[in-house]
Amino acid sequence: MAMKKRSEMAKEYDFTSWRDFTPMNISLGTMLHNMTGSWRFIKPIYEDKVPACQNACPAGNDIEGWIKLVQKGEYDKAYWHLKQEQPFPAILGRICFKFCETSCNRAVLDDYVSINELERFVGDQVDLSTPHPDLPEYNGKNLAVVGSGPAGMSVAYYGRLLGFRVTMFEALPEMGGILRVGIPAYRLPREVVAAEFAGLKNMGIELLPKTGVGKDITLNELRNNYDYMFLATGVHASMKLNLEGEDQSHRIMSGLGMLKKVALGEEVDLGDRVAVIGGGNTAIDAARTAIRLGADATVVYRRSETEMPAHSEEIEKAREEGVRFRFLAAPEKIELNDDGTIRKLVCCEMELGPPDESGRKRPVKKDGVLFDIKTDSIVTAIGEIPLFDYLNKIIKTENRVIEVNECLEVDAKADGKAKIFAGGDIIDMPHTVVHAVASGKKAAIAMDCDRKGVEFAGVLKKIAIGDGPAISFSQYMGWSPINPVRQNNSMVVDSEKIVYDYFVKEPQVEKKIQDANSRKGSFEPYSDTFSEKDALQEASRCMHCGRCTECDNCLIFCPDISVLVKGKGHFGYAFDYDYCKGCGICFTECPRNAITMIDEETPIEIDN
Amino acid sequence: MQKTFDIPRELMTEEELLQPGMLSCQGCGASLAMKLALKGLGKRTVVVIPACCWTIINGVYPYSALQVPIIHVPFETAAISASGVRAGLDARGEKDVVVMAWAGDGGTFDIGIQSLSGAAERNDDILYVCYDNEAYMNTGIQRSSATPVGAWTTTTPAGSIKEEPKKDIEEIMLAHHIPYMATTSVAYPDDMYMKFKKVRHITGTKFIHLLSPCPPGWRIDPSKSVQITRMATQAKVFPLYEVRRWRFSKKRGRLEENWKYTINIYPDRELPVKEYMKAQGRFQQMTEDMVNDVQERVDRKWDELIRKADGRPLTPNE
Amino acid sequence: MKQVIKGNFAVSHGVKLCRVKVISAYPITPQTTIVEELSEMCASGELDAKFIKVESEHSAMAGVIGSSTAGVRSFTATSSQGLLLMHEVLHWAAGARLPIVLANVNRAVGPGWNIWADQTDSLSQRDTGLIQVYCESNQEVLDSVIMAYKLAEKVSLPVMLTYDAFFLSHTSEIVDIPEIEQVDEFLPPYNPEFRIDINNPRSFGGMIGPDYYFEERYIMHKDALKALEYYQQVCKEFEEIFGREYDICEEYRTGDAEVIVVAAGTITSVSRIAVDKFREEGKKVGLMKLRMFRPVPVERWRKVLGNVAKVVVMDRNLTAGLGGVFASEIQAALYPIENKPMVYPVIAGLGGRDVTPDDIEGIINYALSNDKPTDVPLFWGLKE
Repeated sequence: MAMKKRSEMAKEYDFTSWRDFTPMNISLGTMLHNMTGSWRFIKPIYEDKVPACQNACPAGNDIEGWIKLVQKGEYDKAYWHLKQEQPFPAILGRICFKFCETSCNRAVLDDYVSINELERFVGDQVDLSTPHPDLPEYNGKNLAVVGSGPAGMSVAYYGRLLGFRVTMFEALPEMGGILRVGIPAYRLPREVVAAEFAGLKNMGIELLPKTGVGKDITLNELRNNYDYMFLATGVHASMKLNLEGEDQSHRIMSGLGMLKKVALGEEVDLGDRVAVIGGGNTAIDAARTAIRLGADATVVYRRSETEMPAHSEEIEKAREEGVRFRFLAAPEKIELNDDGTIRKLVCCEMELGPPDESGRKRPVKKDGVLFDIKTDSIVTAIGEIPLFDYLNKIIKTENRVIEVNECLEVDAKADGKAKIFAGGDIIDMPHTVVHAVASGKKAAIAMDCDRKGVEFAGVLKKIAIGDGPAISFSQYMGWSPINPVRQNNSMVVDSEKIVYDYFVKEPQVEKKIQDANSRKGSFEPYSDTFSEKDALQEASRCMHCGRCTECDNCLIFCPDISVLVKGKGHFGYAFDYDYCKGCGICFTECPRNAITMIDEETPIEIDN
Repeated sequence: MQKTFDIPRELMTEEELLQPGMLSCQGCGASLAMKLALKGLGKRTVVVIPACCWTIINGVYPYSALQVPIIHVPFETAAISASGVRAGLDARGEKDVVVMAWAGDGGTFDIGIQSLSGAAERNDDILYVCYDNEAYMNTGIQRSSATPVGAWTTTTPAGSIKEEPKKDIEEIMLAHHIPYMATTSVAYPDDMYMKFKKVRHITGTKFIHLLSPCPPGWRIDPSKSVQITRMATQAKVFPLYEVRRWRFSKKRGRLEENWKYTINIYPDRELPVKEYMKAQGRFQQMTEDMVNDVQERVDRKWDELIRKADGRPLTPNE
Repeated sequence: MKQVIKGNFAVSHGVKLCRVKVISAYPITPQTTIVEELSEMCASGELDAKFIKVESEHSAMAGVIGSSTAGVRSFTATSSQGLLLMHEVLHWAAGARLPIVLANVNRAVGPGWNIWADQTDSLSQRDTGLIQVYCESNQEVLDSVIMAYKLAEKVSLPVMLTYDAFFLSHTSEIVDIPEIEQVDEFLPPYNPEFRIDINNPRSFGGMIGPDYYFEERYIMHKDALKALEYYQQVCKEFEEIFGREYDICEEYRTGDAEVIVVAAGTITSVSRIAVDKFREEGKKVGLMKLRMFRPVPVERWRKVLGNVAKVVVMDRNLTAGLGGVFASEIQAALYPIENKPMVYPVIAGLGGRDVTPDDIEGIINYALSNDKPTDVPLFWGLKE
């Protein structure tokens, strides 16, 4: 906005004769003619940055942005803003690995903000089947998405927002992949997944369940009929224990297999006691599912609890529900009865040695110390692997992953018109839902760049968020940020940059979770979405790291009256560089680092 | 939306009584202090300035950064000059105008203490503000009786840093039976605002001791000047409190006094004095023993303060 | 209304008649009774003024600097050490161009302690920029207070009027105290162009650099010189209303004089007796009474003294290593004249030592009998 410069109001007096003087030493005007800005060698600029939570999120979820909208009670806006970077708040709000919460700067003060619960709240405020309100015309290119898990859903969503005509192929009768058949319903209700697909469908995305590629349709058919393909078939097979008799009992099954059966309503025969082998989320899910099926469950893990890859919260819940843990134990032998039932599981005592390449302590066998676990069934969950048969060797795989380049494009030299991309658990990437969503977003942007003939690497640099791998869809689209101020998407605001003096301790809002006894009898979700009151309370704990909140600190603390309020109807402040001496107090006292000091000579466009 | 301080936005944006172009150093606590003080006092204020940094800050003839009446007076005369202005304004019937003497620590603790004591004893209806940067900064950092123990100045150079503790001006002023005494700091704008607003409505001598950072004199980065000043309060080196005194006539005409101490800021994080000192170049010569001594004194004074503020009416001698 | 009052009360009455609004003062002998009477006047409501009972003379002057800047008529009084303590603030009052009136009872400066008449206190303030007026009688003291405000407010400079310790301060004389209505007619309410004004805020007395300080001081000098002319007008107006005649300096039987005695304060009165005696003897002796000493009425001095053979200057003050202040300044004033008179500088009456008509007679005879001074200066009455 155009403000009249104060320096223009300056009036200077130049007395050339004593007759011009005032009769005594009195002032006639202000010091406005004295442009102290010339003293400056560094200058402050208003600049929104990347909060630590967003930086930690593989999808680059603009958490601060939508929390701000929640605070204002604008839930609808918050929902659509959230979906700019992470399209499925109702899903991730329930099952995310929550890298954001681990990095939340608030933890230094009291405790992290329950971002995940807030995300769930936002996801639950809007009918998930509502299509995006601003769908573009089709761009003339079509996209085949193979697999309907989180990666496939994400590429479909963003692909459609970029104008691709999208078809999703799913081998199973239900859409959703791991979300539908891997994650138990008490964590992620079926209806939520279904509603998200209703939303995708309403955006014009074609959903084809029971259409297995390599079975119902060949990869080559797709290659010839689509301009782009995205492979996201996930990991649905389990690694073997490599013990004798492993394949000879109906009471020995993979964790994923068991979860899938339960999810699809099929019978599972577990007996009274289940031993779940493994320490990841699948193991915990399997054990808790077993508990819900009325069995006793023991998780057998070869390292200690500290090394468990499962989310600590999930372990805690499992323990509350009665899951037992046997740490430092590795299956050594399975003894079967003649009818194929299990006589016993012989385990070997383990101890922890020096760290391995993953940084965790390596389990080593304690020489000869064996013991038995009495169990009726064994569920193996020591790792999931993809099934690549459908690729028909057209596409190269190595170490159970498809090799992709920076654009997530597959190096497929054979014939066919489609350019093939891949994402989710079948590429070399951590196996989390949010990583899968991130890969879908990236691939969609990569395809759009390819369509337009734009070099992706250059685009990537421009839309990268912070120092992490996340990229911003909204920036790719050129959407305006919530705060109409200069954006610095590379600088991350970590706890070092926060002025904690300005924040008052506030305890986290307590999550209302049903007690273990009542929840373990059912596959119903055991916690409620935040009430509006709770959500607002928890949202108010957000420190808005790196983002201006118009808190007035700079305005109040500027010793040189050089911070001006932009005025009614305009956001934020402007520095009056005619007078700002560059002391940097505004920068130091900004509670959230929404001001940056830059060299005076740095050419920078500042909107004042 | 989330405002840190309880200072109305309108107040920050309305007609500014202090205009930029001031001759203060980068990160100057004194200009910030004046800006915030005037937010509380408002337009009907006259400022009386003895020799101090503000003599320079306000600008050169024929200009003035301050847009309230301001009278410059000799070094040692801040209080009495204010009393004189007060008397003059009273004679003109302008009783609602606040007359504020605005002096540095040298002008208050040292050369001006006689005239200040005189005004306070007479209970002249003035506001006396000592913006304390803990040395003669305007003349180039010489020690004053407000300079804290252990500080380097050009007259307490390396090898002979100041050994004497800072003069206890608050107790000196309270010994004058004035109706209001407060400490405040530029690092706590809402505390400043509250106190400067409050004094408008108190008749008699009001004394405000205001901690005001000086980046060159404290040997600190200008950008840190507010932060380090905040540390002074967090470390309880400069506690923020106020003392209100009422005199009232009991039956049979006996004059009674009642005092109330209020601690305005209870630091919510423990900050050792050492951290406060470590942050400033001027304290780099201090030995550990000296720092421990300061810590001990600070703790003792804080305890005393807590005791005085616990609600009991205290007699002036306690 | 005629009353028999002491010199100090003449001051108090003058202050009351001028409707002074703020008084700020500190007690010192022999000024004390001024303050006492003013306190009583304020307490009784006879005088509607605020009396700030300050803790020092320095503050006394600083206080009225404040009130005067606020735009009200202000007064203070002191003596000797007190005046010396004020020194810094006297410069300030003048530099700030404030029409404060200060009554100084001329008293010796310590050590050792001496409370009697001596002009060294006021004369050592000659460079402060204050207008200085010396008085000879209690009537003159009272009238001078009234005229001082008129002058001060006209030229925006403070005025110090001085009179001798005890010889006037504590000596009762008949004084015609004017009616306040007459004074009101003579002295309108003070309404300065520049004063502390919330609606027109200004900075008073701020920093001024080498570019402008020079001119500010030049303007002050010009205005101080204007005071000579203004004071003559003021005296004329005063005479019209009150019937008493005053001037920047006063002549007594100087018409054809060959020897003129120059004196200030009560020495003038005794000199007058001596002059009369010489005249009776047919000797052409006259008297010039110094009234205004700052600004220096150079032209008038030259006119009065330029055509006589001998000038005797009586100094009840001493600049050690030079002599008397009046003598040195009169000599400086006469220096450009072609036929300069011979100046006989005399120091007499320091620390309140009595100077009688006989002393003056002796001093005049000394001048008459010597072609040039034997001692420069001559310490009259020195115990050899």
